[in-house]
Amino acid sequence: MKRLVAFLRTVRTERRVRTDGGTADERSTAGRWRDSDFLQSAPFWGPPLVLMGLFVYGAIGWNFLLSLTDHSGFGRPDYTDLGLQNYWAMIQDPSIWEATRNTVVLLVVFTLACLAVGLVLAILLDREIRFGRTFRTVYLLPFALSFIVTAQFWRWMYNVNDGIINQFFGLFGLGPYNWLGDPRLVLGAVIFALVWQFSGYTMVIYLAALRSIPTAQYEAARVDGAGTFRMYRRVIVPQLRPAIVSATVVLVLFALKAFDFLYAVFDGYRPRQGSDILATKMMREGFNNSEWAYSSAIGLTLFVLSLAVIAPYLYTQYKRGNL
Amino acid sequence: MTDETVSAGRTVADERLSDRFDLTRVGLYAALVGLTIFYLIPVQSGFVTSIKTSEALINTQPFAPPGPDGATVEKWAFAFDALSRGLVNSLVFTVPATILCAVLGSMAAYGLTLVDWRGQVAVFVLFIAGIFIPYQSVVIPLTQFWSQYAMLDHRLGLVLSSHQATLLELIITHTAYGIPICTMLFRSQYKTMSWEMIEAARLDGASVSRIYRRIVLPLSIPMFAVVFIFQFTQIWNEFLFSLTLIGSVNDPAASTTLILSGLGEALEGVDYPLRMAGALITALPTLIVYLLFADKFAEGVRV
Amino acid sequence: MAQTTLDNITKVFTEDDGNEIVAVDGVSIDIDDGEFLVLVGPSGCGKSTTLRMIAGLESISSGDIRLGDRVINDVPAKNRDIAMVFQSYALYPHMTVRENMSFGLEESTDMADDEIARRVEETAEMMGIADLLDRKPGELSGGQQQRVALGRAIVRDPSVFLMDEPLSNLDAKLRAEMRTELQRLQEELDTTTVYVTHDQTEAMTMGDRVAILDDGRLQQVGTPLECYHRPANRFVAGFVGEPSMNFVETTLRDEPGGAVLEADSFDYPIADEIAAELPESSNPVLGIRPEDIEISEGAPSGEHEIAATIDVIEPMGDENIVYLQFGDDSSVRGKSIIATIDGMRRFESGQTVTVHVPESAIHLFDGASGEALHNRRLDAADSQVPRL
Repeated sequence: MKRLVAFLRTVRTERRVRTDGGTADERSTAGRWRDSDFLQSAPFWGPPLVLMGLFVYGAIGWNFLLSLTDHSGFGRPDYTDLGLQNYWAMIQDPSIWEATRNTVVLLVVFTLACLAVGLVLAILLDREIRFGRTFRTVYLLPFALSFIVTAQFWRWMYNVNDGIINQFFGLFGLGPYNWLGDPRLVLGAVIFALVWQFSGYTMVIYLAALRSIPTAQYEAARVDGAGTFRMYRRVIVPQLRPAIVSATVVLVLFALKAFDFLYAVFDGYRPRQGSDILATKMMREGFNNSEWAYSSAIGLTLFVLSLAVIAPYLYTQYKRGNL
Repeated sequence: MTDETVSAGRTVADERLSDRFDLTRVGLYAALVGLTIFYLIPVQSGFVTSIKTSEALINTQPFAPPGPDGATVEKWAFAFDALSRGLVNSLVFTVPATILCAVLGSMAAYGLTLVDWRGQVAVFVLFIAGIFIPYQSVVIPLTQFWSQYAMLDHRLGLVLSSHQATLLELIITHTAYGIPICTMLFRSQYKTMSWEMIEAARLDGASVSRIYRRIVLPLSIPMFAVVFIFQFTQIWNEFLFSLTLIGSVNDPAASTTLILSGLGEALEGVDYPLRMAGALITALPTLIVYLLFADKFAEGVRV
Repeated sequence: MAQTTLDNITKVFTEDDGNEIVAVDGVSIDIDDGEFLVLVGPSGCGKSTTLRMIAGLESISSGDIRLGDRVINDVPAKNRDIAMVFQSYALYPHMTVRENMSFGLEESTDMADDEIARRVEETAEMMGIADLLDRKPGELSGGQQQRVALGRAIVRDPSVFLMDEPLSNLDAKLRAEMRTELQRLQEELDTTTVYVTHDQTEAMTMGDRVAILDDGRLQQVGTPLECYHRPANRFVAGFVGEPSMNFVETTLRDEPGGAVLEADSFDYPIADEIAAELPESSNPVLGIRPEDIEISEGAPSGEHEIAATIDVIEPMGDENIVYLQFGDDSSVRGKSIIATIDGMRRFESGQTVTVHVPESAIHLFDGASGEALHNRRLDAADSQVPRL
């Protein structure tokens, strides 16, 4: 009983509303600021941000400025007279439109082909097989090579007289074709080689996604009587959507900037007719023709096109809390 | 790989399928082997071609190895001679740039992931977007910056020769553009680290930088391996910066990819065996790294 | 060490879309030096947030936390002289047990290396983990990791231990063992401890005092027995004790014979002194603990006896948990009430029985606010061990 009285007293003390808590203003806000996680972590992300920011965003800003000048040839650009004339010139330049058309074809066909071939590879490897790891290593191998290297191999593959591709078509009494010289064939030939190099990449992305699907779902689909093909089409592939989206973003952005391979296959800035894309056109206008301002305008256009892909992607990733 | 996870799914195999089972299996392996040939033949053909004499080149199939008297290492020797300078240069800028972007990427990822502050996702978005930007939209200001404003060869003329200055430019450039992907790779690991562990270290009295050095860094070693391997191949294989910052195949700072792009150019056409030998020599460092650490490379690709 | 004071502390989280969520709402507790205080409540009640504010891992939106007279709101976590044990143990996986335990001393003091080594070994000895010192956390069982996590906190000899559900990852048997062990350690070390749990059994058996939170608000602070016998409100009454207290909604009616609580299926006369504690014409909620309900065969005869039908019997061995419906018509389904009776007594489901609800054991709560209006008589309660 005594304890209870004591208890009631404590409870009353505990629950007393306190009114003496208004000392917040006296605290030093400076000390709080100095100790804040923001400032303490700044030495870690600050320097990389500055270095990367200057080279990426600083350069893009500068590039935009350059695209408004009429800089060409040697010397320094004149930044006093700025205008959109280079963008007008682009619109009126038929070779830009041809490059745009080729870029779109490359982008669409290359991306779809990589997604499809990668899916086939991933499904073939997504099971218990001997040497599964070795097969994966082989299929991904081209992706580890430089475009300059693979371009040499494909020049040899596409060689008109002794190339393996023409020999293959020869078996069926077709050809020989001038794969890298014929304007009707060249873009397809380039895309084929790039798919060879990139399909291993999509395969790896798919395999990672397939692995995260619980085994129980495969079993459930089996028990439900679905065959292998139906199981993949109805149960598994729909769950690969996030993987398909992120792979598509990477592939599309690659297609927008593909330059190395074309430079190396054609030994210079001028791809054979029928395979000029915006990325090669930009490099040629600048580093071959010294039309710096015009080239910058094409470069900035490529940036805007990339942004049109990146921005929605990052936004949805952010909304889903994946960043 | 996925083999283990999925194997259980196959044990439910329908009875009626069992007689067809072997046939499916054979078909599967045939497809896999066929694809292996498809993915390897450009490399294989490149290799056999590189050791052929001019006569053997004309007389043998492009994928068939040359006979004993049709084989030669002459092209390899010549290619190695031409590329050796480039191999050294590539190594000189690739290794420091790889290490620098890994370290800076890890630091940035730590500051943006394991220290909690408002607005860090916005800063991280800047990093991620940096992964995807086309180099075409920065390359002209970049060359102008190095050649007309920074002018390292001029300013550091007392300590660095002109070709060393070019290599330094390449190191800095590759580091700057490599930071975004490295940051993302490290962040993907740091996001899975136990937040309670970081808090425990804070309560143990460790400062933000001590936590990085004593807790996060030791735990990042596996990811450093992934980043090193991935970034090494990326920078080694890179061409656009070499082309624009170095400028000429004859420059003493020329990288191996740059020299390869113009190897053995002559009026009478391309010397294919020489090109193939050069391509293989250029690819060799990345091939070795890739074949030794295929799993880590795949991990770097995947994230 | 002086006492730790939580003075009206509040934590407001702002979500990305600008929504504000009040996680902790004006909580005030004085924690005495050497006390074992348990913060308990359902998940999302703000107990962990409160603990994290004490630790300095979470900023305080308003109010003060004081150590003695010193306000420590803005003192960074590492300078607060506290050690925390986490639910996941949060051991450093790349360090041996020895390194795990030394880390805090290395980082927060300038103690000499051999002194650190000596203290680590002493503590390890005390915790019975001396033979694990050179292993890494990955090689230890869950129970061993738990001990290391405790040892890591103890070795620092802090003024306050904070524990965030440290036992919830252990299996039931180990958890019971560690519960006693923790109490023993805390008594030995005599260090102020704030312990968060959602498990009321842990709260009642371990704490010197228990602070019960719900929805960010402090419901009651008191010894386990006080909270059990004299709950401040209906939430506390229902939260503490297993099975939970039965609640019956009633209406207070004055009759010539005295005050009566009128429920759906029975009338319950109450003594004048109890009625005096109730506001006039109110709708009090009648509370009665399952173990205070007496069941007998035969028809109701006494004043507080009510006819009821047995719904289900759950035999637990030493006791039976009986689910009852008031009234003798088993086809009428209302809210069932629960009683616990001796395990040796035999009843059948469907059987009509008489339920005795002793007036000395009833609690009454305000129908709207839930505040306790009347708690059970205490002379009887003092001797009674709470059932958990």
